[in-house]
Amino acid sequence: MTAVAEAAGVSKWYGEVLGLNAFTASFGTGITGLVGPNGAGKSTLFKLLIGQLHANQGTLRLFGENPWNNVPLMRRLGYCPEHNQLYGWLTGQRFVEALLRLDGMSTKKASTAATAALKVVGLSGAAHRPTRTYSRGMRQRAKLAQALAHDPDVLILDEPLSRSDPMARFQILRTISEFAKDGGHVIMSTHVLYEVERITQNIVLIHNGKAIASGDIHAIRALIDEHPHAVRIETSHPRQLAQALARMDHVVSLEVPSEDTLLIRTRKPDAFYKELPGIVADTRLDVRALESPDDSLEAVFRYLVG
Amino acid sequence: MGVTESMRRLWVITSLTLRYLLGTRRVIAMLFLSAIPFILALALAAARVTAFNSDLFQVLMIPLFLQVVLIFVTLVNATTLIREEIDDNTLPYLLTRPISKPAVVMYKYIGYLVAVLVLLVPPIVLAYGVTEAYQGTGLTSDLDVLGGFLVTTVIGSAAYGAVFLFISVIFRKPLAVGLLFGFVWESIVGSIPGDVPKLSLIHYLKSVLKGMIAIGPMTTYRSDISAETALLTLVGFSAALIVLTMMVFQQMEFRQKA
Repeated sequence: MTAVAEAAGVSKWYGEVLGLNAFTASFGTGITGLVGPNGAGKSTLFKLLIGQLHANQGTLRLFGENPWNNVPLMRRLGYCPEHNQLYGWLTGQRFVEALLRLDGMSTKKASTAATAALKVVGLSGAAHRPTRTYSRGMRQRAKLAQALAHDPDVLILDEPLSRSDPMARFQILRTISEFAKDGGHVIMSTHVLYEVERITQNIVLIHNGKAIASGDIHAIRALIDEHPHAVRIETSHPRQLAQALARMDHVVSLEVPSEDTLLIRTRKPDAFYKELPGIVADTRLDVRALESPDDSLEAVFRYLVG
Repeated sequence: MGVTESMRRLWVITSLTLRYLLGTRRVIAMLFLSAIPFILALALAAARVTAFNSDLFQVLMIPLFLQVVLIFVTLVNATTLIREEIDDNTLPYLLTRPISKPAVVMYKYIGYLVAVLVLLVPPIVLAYGVTEAYQGTGLTSDLDVLGGFLVTTVIGSAAYGAVFLFISVIFRKPLAVGLLFGFVWESIVGSIPGDVPKLSLIHYLKSVLKGMIAIGPMTTYRSDISAETALLTLVGFSAALIVLTMMVFQQMEFRQKA
């Protein structure tokens, strides 16, 4: 199997609002991160993948099948919605158990599977508390528990790290990684880019309902070379420093956004970082801080979406 | 799909529905509204109203219970049945399990029926008990009256519930549309002379009462429909509307609320 999910020219609109615009991408095995800003169409794509929306145009397949109203296909997927609503009166244990019983499990089997899933996401200690008392991170983990408790083939996770505390993030990422290590597939959306990079090299970038890039993170990173690399320098003499840096032939632009900041864009980041200390020493200008907004996957995304 | 698995799903969705309908603060208002027949009967007995008997019970309960309490309780519960899960964003949890959308509708409807009957049946039985105790003829002397009201409560809950559930999957704000149907359409159409009342559910409910109660004000109600025909019509109507709701729901899309 090469693709878990495939979209070919998928469009979805809500009245005059375009949710997806001829979206074409393939989601391979293992973990794939769907990366894009809010409103990019990530949730729309996921709603299509779980069969809750019907594409207006194009073809969408999950395990080679059309997900729209495909009840048997639901056995193979675990879905974690973006929102944090749960059945607040149910305990974490009962919440997962109830949903497992919808899979047709017996009470005993559902109870065992729910206990195991809650343990995996690190919620055993709070399993018997009503979910309305859960923090955001705990809710995210409870949602993840219900998604993986029936041992699905694929997890579709809509912003699983959103508004989670560091502990929850760690636990969620670890759970996702282990699920994939055991042969499961994961399609997760996020805009917390550096965390995607931590668990997968496969990403699909989505913007304005279109897939703007996809594939191995290194291949996408290569695209950076076609774009200038931005560096923000904190200095008390931004204009004088700009003058000194202007003689670098690879510098594309220089801006002074504030009285103590210089923003430069270069086509050769390596050369820039090599030459900068010499220039600073020669001009005796103070540089208090250097920051590149381009240090992680964030850079790829920003460049590609302009 | 095995029967056992279906029963498990039925149990889960019915339980969740019951908790939705009976486990929120809204149930306090519903309990109070449903208790009105009982409260009224108690008040009449306490005030020692001499005319308070089985006939007066019928005269009061038809407009008060059948045309207000029943409609309002079914309206509030049936319109929130699915709409509340859509608004609360909990529906995806059900729809991403191997259960069809029509089955979700059916199981929720069953949960609704249980919930509204829990709310509506005890007060009407108690009101009847108070009436019978007050007139001193024994609890079994007017069982046809009690039977008539219980049957109309059950079938009325089913029929109005089907209407309001259908409205709730069609309209985003189903309460307003349901109010128009329940209190404007049913009142006006049901009171126009001739065959027009046949377009209202209340006409069939009254026809059931007329056929089931031997003596009392309902015997003079103008209807050429037998109780059996009225009952079958209401059952058929409810079933058809539930099937229609299932078909609509099957084609519905669920865009996550922000």
